[in-house]
Amino acid sequence: MQDVHSTQDSARPKRPLLAWFDVRSSRVGGWAFALNRLTGLGLVLYLFLHLVILSLLLRGEAGWDAFIRLARSPLFLTLDAVLIFGIIYHGLNGIRVGMVGMGYGVRLQRALFWSLMAVGLALLAASVWLVFTV
Amino acid sequence: MQNATANQRKTGAAGGLWLLQVISGALLIAVLGLHMFVHHFVVEGGLRDFQDVLAYVASPLVVAVELVFLIVVTTHAMLGLRAILLDLGPSPKVEQAINIILTVIGMGTAGYGIYLALALHALAR
Repeated sequence: MQDVHSTQDSARPKRPLLAWFDVRSSRVGGWAFALNRLTGLGLVLYLFLHLVILSLLLRGEAGWDAFIRLARSPLFLTLDAVLIFGIIYHGLNGIRVGMVGMGYGVRLQRALFWSLMAVGLALLAASVWLVFTV
Repeated sequence: MQNATANQRKTGAAGGLWLLQVISGALLIAVLGLHMFVHHFVVEGGLRDFQDVLAYVASPLVVAVELVFLIVVTTHAMLGLRAILLDLGPSPKVEQAINIILTVIGMGTAGYGIYLALALHALAR
């Protein structure tokens, strides 16, 4: 977990994007970093998609309620679960990155990471249950 | 000496943006959590129907909270994209272009979102 301040690292990999998926390094920090970036990119795409979907509201009741019916299908609910995973992981790992970047819990960051992931797993389970039952 | 000062400034600016990323992220955890709860977890079927949405956005306080959410999430998203792009090691010229393009995209996104929120609020009244 030495990648908290990646943009300021002096030793930048020659192919930084491919380095995210370099499995030769089995350190948890490398996977946490790559997943943080991938979920971040996914969430940025979702931000734009969300605004496009919300634009349907301007078309009136028929347009929005037709979308609602589609959004309650099992496929959409599964995509919701993937989205919630991205939000929870990115948010909780972001707490660790922020804390360690500011100098808090640097030595405990591995334990911090796994503790946050345990919290995340519980939140994910509760959220997915709500998505499929409410 | 001038270069050293410029470097110090750049480091200061980068540090400031990183701190903004962290602060906006912390705010997002609170505001996004509220957004998910209010819009998806306590609403039957996970989404409000059209009349429910209009009833919800009729309140100026709700619109204000949603606008704060929009601005914070857009800021965080653009700073995150910038960090990823800067990791690719662009030249200073390309870095400047990245800054400009992301600022334009961010302003456009926030601007459209603000228009959308205010249009829905007007529709609800």
